Amino acid sequence: MVLLDTVFAFLYQLGDAFAFLVLAACGLAVVFGMMGVINLAHGEFIMCGAYVTVATTRAGLPLPLGILAGALVAGAIGMVLERLVIRHLYGRPLDTIVATWGVSLAATQGTLIVLGSSMPGVGTPLGSFTLGSYSYSTYRVVLMLAALAVLAGLYLAFNATRFGTLARATIQVPHMAEALGVDTRKVYALTFGIGAALAGLTGGLYAPTMTIVPTMGTTFIMEAFVTVVVGGADIFLGTAPAALVLGAVRAGLTSWQGQLFGQIGLLVAVILVIRVLPRGISGLILRERA
Amino acid sequence: MTRPRNGSRLTALAAALMLGATGAQAADPIKLGVLEDQSGDFAVATIGKVHGIQLAADEINAAGGIAGRKLELVIYDTQSDNTRYQEFMRRVLQRDKVAVVFAGFSSASREAYRPIVDQLDGFAFYNNQYEGGVCDGHMVVTGAVPEQQFSTLIPWMMEKFGKRVYTIAADYNFGQISAEWVRNIVKENGGEMVGEEFIPLGVSQFSQTIQNIQKAKPDILMTLLVGTAQASYYEQAAAANLKVPMGSSVNVGQGYEHKRFQPPSLANMYVTTNYIEEVDTPESKAFLAKWKAKFPNEPYVNQEAENSYHAVYLYKQMVERANGSTKRADLRKVIAAGDVCVDAPEGRVCIDPKSQHVSHTIYLAKVDEKHKISFPKTWTDIKPYWLGQAGCDLTKKDPMAQYTPSNPPKP
Amino acid sequence: MLRLLRRLEGPQTLGRGPAFWAAFAVVLALAVAYPWFADGYTVGNTAYFFCWVFMALGLCLIWGYGGALSFGQTAFFGLSGYAYGVLTLNVGAAYGFTIAAVVLAVALAAGFAALLGYFLFFGRIGGVFLGIITLSVTLAMERFMAQTAGPDWRIGAARLNGYNGMSGMPPLTVPWFDGDLVLFPDVALYYALLGLLVLTYLGLRILVNARFGNVLVAIRENPERAEMLGYDVRRYQLGAFVIGSALAGLSGTLYTAWGQYITPSSMGLTAAALPVIWVAVGGRGDLTATLVGTLAVLGGFQALTIYGSQYALVVMGLLLVVVVLAAPEGLVVALMRGLARLGRKAPAR
Repeated sequence: MVLLDTVFAFLYQLGDAFAFLVLAACGLAVVFGMMGVINLAHGEFIMCGAYVTVATTRAGLPLPLGILAGALVAGAIGMVLERLVIRHLYGRPLDTIVATWGVSLAATQGTLIVLGSSMPGVGTPLGSFTLGSYSYSTYRVVLMLAALAVLAGLYLAFNATRFGTLARATIQVPHMAEALGVDTRKVYALTFGIGAALAGLTGGLYAPTMTIVPTMGTTFIMEAFVTVVVGGADIFLGTAPAALVLGAVRAGLTSWQGQLFGQIGLLVAVILVIRVLPRGISGLILRERA
Repeated sequence: MTRPRNGSRLTALAAALMLGATGAQAADPIKLGVLEDQSGDFAVATIGKVHGIQLAADEINAAGGIAGRKLELVIYDTQSDNTRYQEFMRRVLQRDKVAVVFAGFSSASREAYRPIVDQLDGFAFYNNQYEGGVCDGHMVVTGAVPEQQFSTLIPWMMEKFGKRVYTIAADYNFGQISAEWVRNIVKENGGEMVGEEFIPLGVSQFSQTIQNIQKAKPDILMTLLVGTAQASYYEQAAAANLKVPMGSSVNVGQGYEHKRFQPPSLANMYVTTNYIEEVDTPESKAFLAKWKAKFPNEPYVNQEAENSYHAVYLYKQMVERANGSTKRADLRKVIAAGDVCVDAPEGRVCIDPKSQHVSHTIYLAKVDEKHKISFPKTWTDIKPYWLGQAGCDLTKKDPMAQYTPSNPPKP
Repeated sequence: MLRLLRRLEGPQTLGRGPAFWAAFAVVLALAVAYPWFADGYTVGNTAYFFCWVFMALGLCLIWGYGGALSFGQTAFFGLSGYAYGVLTLNVGAAYGFTIAAVVLAVALAAGFAALLGYFLFFGRIGGVFLGIITLSVTLAMERFMAQTAGPDWRIGAARLNGYNGMSGMPPLTVPWFDGDLVLFPDVALYYALLGLLVLTYLGLRILVNARFGNVLVAIRENPERAEMLGYDVRRYQLGAFVIGSALAGLSGTLYTAWGQYITPSSMGLTAAALPVIWVAVGGRGDLTATLVGTLAVLGGFQALTIYGSQYALVVMGLLLVVVVLAAPEGLVVALMRGLARLGRKAPAR
């Protein structure tokens, strides 16, 4: 019983770290993994989703609808941003760093000016459950399930729909896709919008568990980049295993040596993985399949 | 190009108000520099500090100024960025030539500007609760320090809840030094530390920490968490149904988490603070009314805001007793007399000449299930005793250094 | 000697001919005369800006000329800043030791860069991955240094002092006949930094117009072709990385000596992004553009913070977006190209 207790406790920690990494990274994986756009404003889309979720929920909407609203608003803003800024920077990935960093600065401070330095939260729903000597937050199990659902949904969206086929075609050989009549601009805009919406979804999902402040996006951004880079170019083959590996490193080191080692261990793991697998985990899987 | 300019539009407004209130005066105004984080990560807790200084300056100017001279504020936004403190501390001292500077929220920002104040022989007030130990003749500290907050809080909580204590603290100077204080005071009172965990700044996910605490089963949990990311702990602990009485020196009084979070995540939290807006005395109520009249949209008046407010009055008294001189040497002679005291909204506060820190009224604030505050106990006139006992005596020697209990001044 | 000087202009740098050097001389003369008609604060503040420019020039070499974006130059900045602190706090400032400490600290940064660079370039890591790894290195160093607050974290007499930062190190001193000359952040420091900056700038111009620079640019344009032509791409990139990182280290020691203070947040995410911004805004393809752009951004952002109150960060962010969209090669490069076009047109009229 004690063993079971410990095993479940570790699995819960692993799942928790896994969910955080997957959800932090999924939007970025679409934008960076598929489009090659390095979006330093990723954290601000997460923040935007969280703000919308909290605002709508406090206005009386049920939480799941609030989260959906957060995702939709973030996605819409993402498409506008794509139209105004990102569209002009395709093929210049390093310039997008500067531009999106600028967007991130302006968005964070703009939020502070317009909405104030913080916003009251909505509280975590669903209560807790007890197993052995520990009690756990039920909502965090929902987060783990949501991470899995997002992965599955992304896989389906890009592999089983017409839009997914067009998107992959556009990203792999843009001029060929264009010659075949694909409106590539629309595809790029939609893809970026999906990435932003996923970030908004993450913000909405984590909003009940966190402090709602303009700078909240920064706590996600490092983990997001690390996961995407370790995962490599293919988001479906890469992100999930990367999040699993990094989650295990994070959870293991944190429970063994404390939070500091969990954090530094994550960064060291990234350096090692890239050194051994320059194309990320998905590069390894693809090579073995080929 | 070399004309001195005010730091912000607010200053211009304040200056305009002063003119309207007192009319033209012959004497040059006394310039007071203000470097606070009005944007960036720390803005939540620090915008109120600027407002506190503005409120005090307006009142003083309306009543005729300091020794017949008006008080003029020079305000800069330091953007929660240490390098901005370095740049603007030079600017206020060299370009604006202010008589005194009120500056800094994080301890890192204070340590960033302190060498510059020492180098340029400036005079600075640090109006913030912190880890204690700064023994520097160029500084006056009006915030509360660990001995004031922990020597009151911990014995009280141990008597009420039990002797097994667990500490989670931000993994930097403030957290580590505060944790050291907790450890020492728990030991002195016959208690036992059942766990201690340090959390890097910026961490926002606490599942593992919550499990560790559940495993150790403490009677009391000391939470010395700092920053908006770490504040997420409370929501996550409440969601996991962790219900250990919590004690803190930094929450509620600084970041007003009880207003920002959905109840009951902070329920059963005990905080020692030298002021929060719920303090239920006539002085406090009058102060709050004045504040709300001037800044109706203020989210909360925290202890740092009140510190900043009464610090202006402490400075006023020093200058007036030095016959209008703003020279640091003259003001320190006044401090050395040992009776620079004002009646602040919290109660009477006095500057300790040895450490140039301030004595405080310490309120024990209890947060209930609905996040309402009550005050089970109040201690008056709690002195910042540690530096003086450890051997810092600024009336005799000025080492310009920061000490900790495990690294005290060398005799 | 003359051959070296001839490398001062060439295909890899903007600006050539008598007109450019006349302008250079005028700017230099203005910079030398400037402390006589500005107040102490302005001069000291300009000296402070100079502290940062070396890091920008180094990144310009690595990124603009070598084509490898390092997002973690602050790692070397912080490392050598701390090294300066540790050395001077232990040995003191007598006999001009601070100068020796600068040299040693920069050498340490260069050594660390050689190690990391060997790992990166000989592991054939490039593109965005290079940026992420270097960023991870600087963030890991920041997190580590942030928790070294306890008294047991000390090297000799120097306490690392965690997130609050290390302080108390002496400013730069130059041994002089009648006692040491202390370079407090004022006129003396300004001239010292100005001299160092001019030397670095001219030295880098020679470097990039020499064979090394030409090969480096060839690698940036097409690494495979450069390799086919028999150049060891890895060595050249490593060389640029070490030189650029040593310059970042130089910035770190100068900054530490200037403020007598160094903190882990100098290696954090925001700090790491700044050099990239300076170089991108000025124009990463050219040293002069980087130099001018860095000074303009530093001065502009500071002025915005002073006069723009809380809107400063919003304006800064939007400015960056506009610059990237309107002047893809950088603001200064665009300006210089425009001036050159005007110059060519004028005689025709």
